[in-house]
Amino acid sequence: MEIKVGTVGGSSPIGRQSDDTGLESLQFCEEIQGLMTIPAENASSFTALLELPATQALELLHSPDSATAAVVNDDSVHHCIKDVPKPYFSAFNCNLTFPTNSGLIERVTKLSVLAKEHSPETTSSVPLNSSVNLEKVKNEPTTDTDSNPNPLQTLISDPTVENTNQRSAKRKEREKKGRGSTKKSKNESNEDAEKLPYVHVRARRGQATDSHSLAERARREKINARMKLLQELVPGCNKISGTALVLDEIINHVQSLQRQVEFLSMRLAAVNPRVDFNIESILATENEPILESNFPTMVSPLMWPEIPVNGTRQQYQPQWHFDGSVNHQGWARDEHNHHNFSPPENSLLSYDSSANSASLHSNQLKMEL
Amino acid sequence: MQNSNSLKQEFFKKWMMGLQIYTTTNENMTVTERKTAIKLSADIALASSRNCATRWSRAVIARSSVDNRSCFVANGVLGRGLCERVKQISNLKITRSSWSSGKIVKRSRRVWRRRRRRNKCMAAVTIARRLVQKRTKVLRGLVPGGEFMDEISLIEETLDYMSALQAQVDVMRFLATAYNPSSSS
Repeated sequence: MEIKVGTVGGSSPIGRQSDDTGLESLQFCEEIQGLMTIPAENASSFTALLELPATQALELLHSPDSATAAVVNDDSVHHCIKDVPKPYFSAFNCNLTFPTNSGLIERVTKLSVLAKEHSPETTSSVPLNSSVNLEKVKNEPTTDTDSNPNPLQTLISDPTVENTNQRSAKRKEREKKGRGSTKKSKNESNEDAEKLPYVHVRARRGQATDSHSLAERARREKINARMKLLQELVPGCNKISGTALVLDEIINHVQSLQRQVEFLSMRLAAVNPRVDFNIESILATENEPILESNFPTMVSPLMWPEIPVNGTRQQYQPQWHFDGSVNHQGWARDEHNHHNFSPPENSLLSYDSSANSASLHSNQLKMEL
Repeated sequence: MQNSNSLKQEFFKKWMMGLQIYTTTNENMTVTERKTAIKLSADIALASSRNCATRWSRAVIARSSVDNRSCFVANGVLGRGLCERVKQISNLKITRSSWSSGKIVKRSRRVWRRRRRRNKCMAAVTIARRLVQKRTKVLRGLVPGGEFMDEISLIEETLDYMSALQAQVDVMRFLATAYNPSSSS
């Protein structure tokens, strides 16, 4: 079923692309004609054709030649078909907005953002492509002998028609290989490896395409995705843009949480005179129902950092001894603020800096720099 | 939500366990001692409720192994075998990477900074990068075990650590509110 979908989906963009790149297809014709006339052993013309570095092209050349050493001259047509995918693939590499793979691109980028373990593949994208290419070229004769005899016939006829036909045939083949790669367990990993680096790190116009910068770009994208997640977790961090400010907020949040832990442990230590905490009684009397009932509602105190507190300090301070339980929240926060005022470095990144004072803090930090 | 609830319950259980261990070892404590006991046991419980799958939890347990008594608590909470294994792993890491090369790195950084201060002309990009670097360093200091992470894992660990800390704070606050009326009455 998937194969059918692939062929149908493949047929529609072909027309589009042939309309779009008529000039390219003309060039392509010439290339094919050149291929037909020139014997395949001529390496220099090939390198010119492939627009690849000479070493890679030679690598590409060696395997089909060695594989088809027996079939030399009378099968020139066959040979031509075998060699077509290489320039096609190189053109494919340059052409970034390729219509058929757009769905795949999105899916794979989603996957690869989440999956960490593909990073080594993304780093070595360029050599991998060539190796995959090699693999494809090696596998070509088996598939094209059984699946499509059409290009053999059409090659002899008019080259312009033949070109599009051949393209479609190749496209179908590629997609059959791509979709049906589950059948061929041997090919599976290679196909994945082919799609991932190519899709994941795309170089836009004017960006560097060597493997180092590609890897660097992939790493940066990963970091950005995780920063987004962090931003969602920290309250009041959604509106801020800029890595430094977001990091500021994250630092503030973590520090505030750590100080809350510190303070709460202090408070628990102060509240009960013995270390044993009298937990058994609490656990026996009220722990289970409270644990069940209160924990969902415990989420609401998550919100309390946003409450402005400065005005309420004087109000709550004297109530320390009388009524701890009712005004506990404001009291806790108050004491907490008191706790943190002393060291200057702490107050710089202190807890009471909410989202709107982030810019002020960044300024302070700049001053400190 | 479900996940955080289960985390809270597990943390609570382990924390109580650690506190009981403390109680059995030592009866009379001052306030500060009690405070450190509570905090240490809470930290260890938090780390162990994360099942030592994350690096920060391992770092917390390794740090606790410096102190004798907290080591005892960690053994009690975690179970001896797991605790020993974690300590071995993280101690190895620490001794290898930090003690040997930390001084050298610091010295070279100092030299580098001195040199950098000389040429003052900087692009905006470098300023921004330095800001980010500065904050990343601070964050490294905050997240336990953050000194040995690269940036991606640092951010991931920070995510995990933050959620765990939130759970810890919630539980502790809950306990404080639950305990307060009984003590006052």
